Amino acid sequence: MEILGVLGPTSILLCFLGVFIGMIFGTIPGMTATMAIAIFLPITYSLEMIDSIGLLIGLYVGGISGGLVPATLLNIPGTPSSLCTTFDGYPMTQNGEGEKALKVGITASIIGGFFSLLILYFCAPFLASVAIDFSAVDKFLIIIFALTIIASISQGSLLGGMFSGLLGIFISLMGIFPDNNELRLVPGFWEEELYYGFTLLPVLIGLFAIGQMLKEAEEGMKPAAHQDIDLKKGKKSGFSFGIFRKQGVNLVRSSVLGTFVGMLPGVGGSAASITAYSQAKNFSKQPEKFGKGEPEGLISSESANNGLIGGALIPLLSLGIPGDSTTAILIGAFLLQGIEVGPLFITSNPDLWNGIIYALIVANIVMFILMFFSIKYFAKIVYIPKYIIFPIIVVMCVVGSYAINNGVMFDVWTLLLFGLAGYIFMKIGIQIPPFLIGFILGAQCEKYFIDSLKGSNGELTVFFTDGPMAVFLWVLILLALGYSLFGNKKNKKNINQEAA
Amino acid sequence: MKDLLTLEMSYSEYHLIFPKIVLIALGITILMLIGRFVLKFIRERKGFISMKRLLSSDFNRLKFFASLGLLFVYPLLMNGLGFVISTVIFMIVLTLILMGRVNKKALMVSVTNSLTTTIVVWYVFGRVFDITLP
Repeated sequence: MEILGVLGPTSILLCFLGVFIGMIFGTIPGMTATMAIAIFLPITYSLEMIDSIGLLIGLYVGGISGGLVPATLLNIPGTPSSLCTTFDGYPMTQNGEGEKALKVGITASIIGGFFSLLILYFCAPFLASVAIDFSAVDKFLIIIFALTIIASISQGSLLGGMFSGLLGIFISLMGIFPDNNELRLVPGFWEEELYYGFTLLPVLIGLFAIGQMLKEAEEGMKPAAHQDIDLKKGKKSGFSFGIFRKQGVNLVRSSVLGTFVGMLPGVGGSAASITAYSQAKNFSKQPEKFGKGEPEGLISSESANNGLIGGALIPLLSLGIPGDSTTAILIGAFLLQGIEVGPLFITSNPDLWNGIIYALIVANIVMFILMFFSIKYFAKIVYIPKYIIFPIIVVMCVVGSYAINNGVMFDVWTLLLFGLAGYIFMKIGIQIPPFLIGFILGAQCEKYFIDSLKGSNGELTVFFTDGPMAVFLWVLILLALGYSLFGNKKNKKNINQEAA
Repeated sequence: MKDLLTLEMSYSEYHLIFPKIVLIALGITILMLIGRFVLKFIRERKGFISMKRLLSSDFNRLKFFASLGLLFVYPLLMNGLGFVISTVIFMIVLTLILMGRVNKKALMVSVTNSLTTTIVVWYVFGRVFDITLP
């Protein structure tokens, strides 16, 4: 079998383990797939690339899927991408159909997962083949486009998003500029430590894991669940695959929407869930049943959020631009192994590309089997107290940060510094995703900017006159800006109307 | 007009071109944010960041500041005591802080949590995966 030839038993085992751990993270509210990947990234340092892909993809799929458990049983989305699962999942639990709801959700998840996998398999190589011919100007504009979308769609204001993204770029520029080996933006007392700038991984884990811990500490580490879970033991669940018979259109539409939302850089999982849910409601023959325990709504949300995974991997593997914060961390995994993701990735690393596809297949199947048959036990994870989990996470973060450059204590300080920053960001309403994407793409953005200007002897007009692709990208950028200005006004109007 | 749209490109200054542009853009965004804040304040007499929201009634000062302080002490401890001892101490104290109570049961929970994690992390990271520990 080819799949065994590419993945190997270790990778499959690690993928299995990844799904299992990811599901635990997804199940506990406040912990996300992003956090799971960030924390386990240091382990991949000593693994073969293909094995670490197995582990990371497993964590990703498990983490996104696990979110449906508390969403359905406790009305708390375990991860943001399960937001709309609560709308119909929880009412079903209240009607005594908890197990049925979970099984419907799991089945929808695997279908969404496979659907987006297909799109990824056909789209990414095509997009990459187009992107190979991109000039420095095009690449610069793509990054600007990515940042514009993130800023404009992220919750809160466009201005706040832009500030966050620019701050991320600014901090990523600290250290030396490789073209002429000159140091800039570094305070004198940190010249040695910041010669190469802040290390990516401690920044990522700090923002996500440590920041979240501080936030939970401030809130008093309250348990996530107060009520008991009632699964009506002994009774038949009432689940049958027949529920899906008339859901074909809904499944395809939601999976495609989820995949598409995933492709847009920086747009989070909650957007995928919301878009698919509202469209399912719009097209449904019985929209009045939505929100009262209708499997159709549950199916749309869960197939969309698993569709997101394949979608988010498309720009990552074809352009080197992460589709969400989780894939942003995956870039870190590739960099750790010295592999650059970009238009050349698929053609120059065919084994890895196949490995990713196979790992996604394995992860989805493992997720389905694990969840379908052990869902009752998994539901109990919600009750593990956070005061036990967070200390473990902090220690793992510290160990990971310390190990990333083979024992540098400054990286631990970076972790803590950005943990505090992440907490402050959450408090004053600065969105973390734009900052993160800005931080990751900042260096490349500068490189392409300088390369473009070198070619034009410093003339800025080159960004408009480079060719049809540049013009097309400018149109996209303006559309994203226009959408956000218009969208924000509409939102404000709605808020004002509700307030009145 | 042409001068405005042309940047001076000299090799020794390459590293400053882009940071300058980003700084200018950051400055403009900050000014706009401040402008919006002032406008909102004049119009609604409401701050952009309300102190009330920051220090909400369920702001748990003890847990927050104690764990924050402990976080920054931990690396210092490691420098002095090494990974294993400092991690055991750090985890016991952090678990107790987050639990918010000190009694026999809490101590049992925190010691068990601490010892198990330290041993597992030390063994799996340090021995199996051969990762450098502090």
